[in-house]
Amino acid sequence: MRLPAIRSFGPTVWGIGLFLILLAGSAPRIPVFLLTLVIGLLIWATLAYSLNLITGLTGYVSFGHVVFMALGGYALAFGIGTWNLHPVAGVAFGAVVGAALALGIGVVTLRFRGVYFAIATLVVAIAALYIVLEVKELGDGQGLYLPSSVGFQPLAMFYTIWVILAIEIGLTYIITHGRIGYGLRSIKSDEDAASTLGINAAQLKLFVYTLSGLFAGAAGGVYAWNVSGASPYQAFDLGFSLQMLAMIVIGGMGTLLGPLIGTVAVYLPSQIFLTIPVLGGLQAIVIGIVVVVIALFVPGGIVGTLQKYIPEFRGILE
Amino acid sequence: MADVALFLTDLALGLLLGCVFAVVAHGLNLIWGVAKVVNVAHGEFIMLAAYGAYFLNVSFGFNPLLSVPVDAAIGLAAGVGFYFGFLHRELRGKESMGLQSEMVTLVATFGLSLVLINAAQTLWTTTVVGIPWSPGSLVYGPFQLPLGGLYVAFLSVAIIALSHVFLSKTYLGNAIRAYSQDIPATQLVGISPTFIAAIGTALGFCITMAGGALLTVWLPTGIRPAMGNLYAPISFVIVVLGGPGKMWGSLVGGLTLGVIINVGQLFVGSLSVAYAIAFLVLIPVLLLRPEGILR
Repeated sequence: MRLPAIRSFGPTVWGIGLFLILLAGSAPRIPVFLLTLVIGLLIWATLAYSLNLITGLTGYVSFGHVVFMALGGYALAFGIGTWNLHPVAGVAFGAVVGAALALGIGVVTLRFRGVYFAIATLVVAIAALYIVLEVKELGDGQGLYLPSSVGFQPLAMFYTIWVILAIEIGLTYIITHGRIGYGLRSIKSDEDAASTLGINAAQLKLFVYTLSGLFAGAAGGVYAWNVSGASPYQAFDLGFSLQMLAMIVIGGMGTLLGPLIGTVAVYLPSQIFLTIPVLGGLQAIVIGIVVVVIALFVPGGIVGTLQKYIPEFRGILE
Repeated sequence: MADVALFLTDLALGLLLGCVFAVVAHGLNLIWGVAKVVNVAHGEFIMLAAYGAYFLNVSFGFNPLLSVPVDAAIGLAAGVGFYFGFLHRELRGKESMGLQSEMVTLVATFGLSLVLINAAQTLWTTTVVGIPWSPGSLVYGPFQLPLGGLYVAFLSVAIIALSHVFLSKTYLGNAIRAYSQDIPATQLVGISPTFIAAIGTALGFCITMAGGALLTVWLPTGIRPAMGNLYAPISFVIVVLGGPGKMWGSLVGGLTLGVIINVGQLFVGSLSVAYAIAFLVLIPVLLLRPEGILR
């Protein structure tokens, strides 16, 4: 894989890079409650970019992405509880579990197209919950909790998820700007035509799906570290899958900037309204309405719409 | 001997449960077969129907069977609204449903399900409610079956059979089947595709919401805003098992799932593993017989 030259970076890449560097620089100085908000934002951004890899780039809608996140979290809790791993090693273990799982699930489910893929991933996620409920090593349905020796380490958590997100965005850029990107785009527009042109569709899809599982597993690990454990019904909440999907739909599927904008647009209001219970429900209703409107009338999301109607943005946003 | 009786009872209960699963999935099957659209918000309409039955019970003392026609009528109206709100723009003037339109409807109906779940949680809170109605049970030797379940199973099969008769014997039904097979040909013989697709969608919603009312008999406690998260995937699996657009497919898929859950629980000894098996059956079926169990 040839890396793109630094000279070819557009304003979007510099913008995201500057945003991340500013965050990293200011993290030790900002108050803890703000830092936890930022950690949550970065975890969700990682999840949104992870779903973007498969759903945004290939058009395969996955409703079951929560399975990688949940089992990544369980992997971290299991690693720390049983082998006394350092939390960062636990996150790495979560990533490995996520990738292995995505490879296994992808080999089978990526054969199905459109609705069938969406349903198959949903069904696998639900079945995984029912299986985890019965596994003794994973808490027998009660969940796994981190030992109190781990404690609350916001800065360590922040830099772990920061590094993961930075790598993920970098990989997304490299993939979309190289040979693989052309292959994925052709699969998205017409998979049969792509295959006749000699693109190994099965291999490419499996590659991005595994990558996507890797990052979702890592994000799930940090999430479990943040809430000190994984309990089945909270970890496997299908609402997580749906929130990831809402983020990339609102931000703009398949773009480099979209998932980040979508995360900010969905996550920040949800945290602000969380303090007022009545508004919490209303906020979710508004997100649902926005998703409907965007899906039906502005399929490009925020980024796609800006590119379409403001010509000056076309060269800047990607 | 006791084991055989236990097995037979579980098998019978599984078949009864399968009937209600079948009718709940049947509405999805119709919309999937006619409009080639998968309604991700399917579970939320089941939930709305269950709440409809609950409120009819609280206000007027209706039992769940009496609320079936009311819910069905609401379903007809909801179906027409759903067609013009969500599907018309994608289906209008198209000869077939492309993968792109499929994704649009998938994501749009997913947004609808978010709206409905959260609206229900805001209005009715997350408290679990239920309808206390049990007409006793049928006892014969060592066997004991709930009468409510029997009534529901009978009505479920009747609804599926009626929809089959409607689609194969009436002019309107034939028009709907023609539309599902070949849209341009339907237009050539003077049938309005918009009218037919709207009727088909409305009929699907009508059956879905009737099924939601029937389902409450099985849920003495269990009506809650998030209940769609279980029944929507169950319906997806049933429709794929039977084959989308095949009217008897929902019954075959529903009975299969009901038996797997009840008898599987007896053999594996755990309800959640039985559910996991019931869901995962979908994968080998999709791999080996993507057109469904039925020919």
